[in-house]
Amino acid sequence: MSTRERDVLRRAGEASVLVLISLAAGPKHGYALIQDVRQFAGVELGPGTLYGALDRLERLGLIEPLPADERRHPYRITEPGTSALRAHLDSLERVSAAGRLRLQLGGA
Amino acid sequence: MNGTPGGGLVGAALRCYPARWRRRHADEAAEVAALLIRDGAPAASIAWSYFLGAAREWLVPRTGRPQSAVAAVLLAVTCVLGFSAALIAETVPARAAGTTQPGPSRPRTAKPNTAKPNTAKPNTAQSHPASPKARPVPSAASSPRYAAPCRTPAAGHPRSSVREAAHARSC
Repeated sequence: MSTRERDVLRRAGEASVLVLISLAAGPKHGYALIQDVRQFAGVELGPGTLYGALDRLERLGLIEPLPADERRHPYRITEPGTSALRAHLDSLERVSAAGRLRLQLGGA
Repeated sequence: MNGTPGGGLVGAALRCYPARWRRRHADEAAEVAALLIRDGAPAASIAWSYFLGAAREWLVPRTGRPQSAVAAVLLAVTCVLGFSAALIAETVPARAAGTTQPGPSRPRTAKPNTAKPNTAKPNTAQSHPASPKARPVPSAASSPRYAAPCRTPAAGHPRSSVREAAHARSC
């Protein structure tokens, strides 16, 4: 199951991972997501990219919309979303560790 | 949204999305755009982001539309376009080879020997003495490198004989 979860997020793209990381801290709406991602990752998420990612994540069942607050739709991460994010970050950590080790071995 | 500077552009970009998406996100997306513009983000870049998002929304397969089906359709379209381009590329050098007889002597001396090469079909037969079966693939034939010998006197035997005939007459 964890392999499948990793695959889901790998195909979902970097924006989806950033959105999931942001939602892991609590529910947010679109504008708050853009600001949060800018703050913790230094990535300027375009609104078109953001809504594409939100749509994809919602279809995959990794996030869900909360009742609308005026025109804003807050989203929150679901249980499968949390597991998928954890699995993906574990995988990234393993790859990162391997990369660092090889950089040391190679003397680069 | 349309009241804000650049709001028209963003509104136009949002109208490019499928109706399903607009029903769900358009209001919020317009508000986010207004907030970003207020923060100092250029309206054009926001509109561009929405345009790209709309394109992605139309192109990315929905659930129930298998990815392989979309890939097959794209492959088929690419093949048809490629085949058409190859056909066009093949006919253009052939026509060019048939009409670029150099030199002023051609009209005077063309009658006896070049009557056949000037017609469209025999031209290819003259240029490639081998039968059509032996011709290379269309892309290779359409390449200027392969098409070039058709225009040289060596490949177009009639042309060299025409020149010789013209020379003999003038002498």
